[in-house]
Amino acid sequence: MTISRRRLGKLAAATGLALAAPAVWTTGRAQNRPIRIGASFSMTGPLSSTKAGLVGLQLWRDDVNAAGGLLGRQVELVTYDDQSTVAQIPSIYSKLVDIDKVDILVSPYGAVLSAPVMPFIKQRGRFMAGMFALAGNDGVKSDRYFHSAPWGPDAKVNWARGFFEVGKAAGCKRIAVLNADVEFAKVSAAGGKTAAKELGQEVVFEQSYPPNTSDFSAILRNLRGATPDAVFVCSYPPDSSALIRGLSEVGIGDSVKLFGGAMVGPQYAATLQALGSSLNGIVNFNLFVPEPTMVTPAVTSFLDRYTAIAVPEKLDALGYYIPPFYYVAGQLIAAAVTATGSTESAAMATWLHANPVKTLVGTATFNELGDWTERRVLMTQFQGIKGNDIEQFRQAGRQVILDPPALKSGELAQPFLKARGA
Amino acid sequence: MTAKTSLMTAAPPPAAARAPEARTLVFCACALAVLALGAVLTQTIANPYVFFAAFIIVQQVALATGWNVLGGYAGYINFGATAFYGAGAYTGAFLLKAYGASIFLCLPAAALVGGGLGLLMGYMTLRVQGVYFAIATIALVVMMHTLVLNIDYLGGASGLALMPPEPPAWTGGQVQFVFLVMLGIAVLAVACARWIEISWVGRGFRALRASEEAAECAGVPTFRLKLSACAISGAILAMTGAPLVFYASFIEPETVFGLALALNAIAMPLIGGKKSWPGPIIGAVLLGSVQQAATITISSELNILLVGVVLIGFVAAAPDGILGLVDTLRKGRQ
Repeated sequence: MTISRRRLGKLAAATGLALAAPAVWTTGRAQNRPIRIGASFSMTGPLSSTKAGLVGLQLWRDDVNAAGGLLGRQVELVTYDDQSTVAQIPSIYSKLVDIDKVDILVSPYGAVLSAPVMPFIKQRGRFMAGMFALAGNDGVKSDRYFHSAPWGPDAKVNWARGFFEVGKAAGCKRIAVLNADVEFAKVSAAGGKTAAKELGQEVVFEQSYPPNTSDFSAILRNLRGATPDAVFVCSYPPDSSALIRGLSEVGIGDSVKLFGGAMVGPQYAATLQALGSSLNGIVNFNLFVPEPTMVTPAVTSFLDRYTAIAVPEKLDALGYYIPPFYYVAGQLIAAAVTATGSTESAAMATWLHANPVKTLVGTATFNELGDWTERRVLMTQFQGIKGNDIEQFRQAGRQVILDPPALKSGELAQPFLKARGA
Repeated sequence: MTAKTSLMTAAPPPAAARAPEARTLVFCACALAVLALGAVLTQTIANPYVFFAAFIIVQQVALATGWNVLGGYAGYINFGATAFYGAGAYTGAFLLKAYGASIFLCLPAAALVGGGLGLLMGYMTLRVQGVYFAIATIALVVMMHTLVLNIDYLGGASGLALMPPEPPAWTGGQVQFVFLVMLGIAVLAVACARWIEISWVGRGFRALRASEEAAECAGVPTFRLKLSACAISGAILAMTGAPLVFYASFIEPETVFGLALALNAIAMPLIGGKKSWPGPIIGAVLLGSVQQAATITISSELNILLVGVVLIGFVAAAPDGILGLVDTLRKGRQ
């Protein structure tokens, strides 16, 4: 069989096209396929109250997609329920990376659930936005991990330092520390004691209690006997509520000028509504409150859209504590992807270490461990709370910011008993 | 004739004796084949997720088998499986933190701790049976949980993050290595359960389950058997927990001593059948696979509901589990 030169040329061209087509087609598909963001959420189990964060991330996805996506690609979320259980985390994150082929990871909620995934991201060299894991990267020291929450550097010691700064300004020298026997509370109590020592304050009373303690009358009476100036409380939602109720019933003594600090619970709408006016006078941490020094049109728009989704779905009605920071996580990812033009972990991490990012809650700059370089945990005091109407917590002046000074929106109401309306 | 001799020297007729020996050979061959298959899979499957998921399912097999020694064979319902599992997990974590110990040292150490704890529990609950024994086992979980919460060296409430040593190169990676170890533990647990079932020990356990008083009257050494059941079950459950820190690089008390794990340990033999060794395997593979699939496909609320409905269904319709149901159907056909 003979073949003409022209026919040979046509055959060669056709063969080349046939060989190249799959590569061209898959490259095209890869460029057009969505950017996949993978995360686990505690939709069930003891941490299920944190699932409101998913709405924050979904709102960010919708905003980005409405604006044309990232690098011209739509953003897609791939999420699983970790059931608030550590044992689920390794397999979920392996599935996200190895089966779902997500481009970027967002961590589970909190330090305990994040801990199993930290060695994984270090070994795989993956970029991860960290969600509320206090000092979550201090052990593994990944250079590709970035906190969305502004705990600040050396967070174990310093995250609640504002409480002691406010106390020092109010003349508090004798500190009592009360903490639940659970992870966050123990870490916070240890950090608080170090911060107090550094500010020249003396710890005169220390007490830990089992989780789910519901009667604090004996502890509060003992505490009153130590005549502290300030009581640093590290508690979880059920005991925070029980303690505040106990405070109203048993009292705390005239010596106390400051009470609170690291109580988890009074950040959530359900707890705020349940406790109502009994919160008055308490100084506690938060990450966002609707004070004039923090509110921007972007935050207001976000919260309006969040509320429209959260209320019918019976999620946290206010959404100040967790949802905005999932939106921030998305903003960090978007900034790094857009600036580097890729979803490559190393490039994104290098860029984020070197550049500030404007977020919903302020400008974030990161140190080598992915902590915000500036601590921006708020110490707020509940003032003028009347009854149990949840809408009052949307107004300015109800959670007055005392620290940090740059965001201060009011003065500490004292003495404590008067601030509580006693 | 003493109870011991009645249990130990009841020799079967020679013709019948050959069949169990042949079955034991087949069992050993199957066990080796399972281990070999596991090793081959680590070399041929590149996707690590398979081993992350398989680890959980194989762990369920070991957990169910360990629980079944006391709960199924001896009839002592144990809600405290997590006390032993947690003791093993924290033994592994302690040895890894203190001495950088290999997983192969952690396993026998965990078995010793679990066995000792089982002996202690068996001794302390000497006169307690039925629902009172079950309540006592819950107390053991609370005690272990509280103990760990108050030991700072073990991380207390905060948990403990540890980087395990590098796995042998031939295994292909940490998760593949830990999967193989867990597969070995499961095979060992099943072999142990099978030996109990076909030996005089199993006959003693069955006598305990039927009626402790009647067994005592017939000369069965009930106290020793109860202690043995507690110790063997405790040792297997603790060994099952030991690799956890090598798998997750992290350990914390809320998960390790959690109720979900304890309920799963009970549910799996109930679903599969608790009277013989294949029952817990069937229950664990079924429940473990369904749970893994449900976690990543449907919501976990439905997953938990699914487990509850399946459990209620089996308790109501097939109290002897899948194996019991198959037996009943077979007998009906005959």
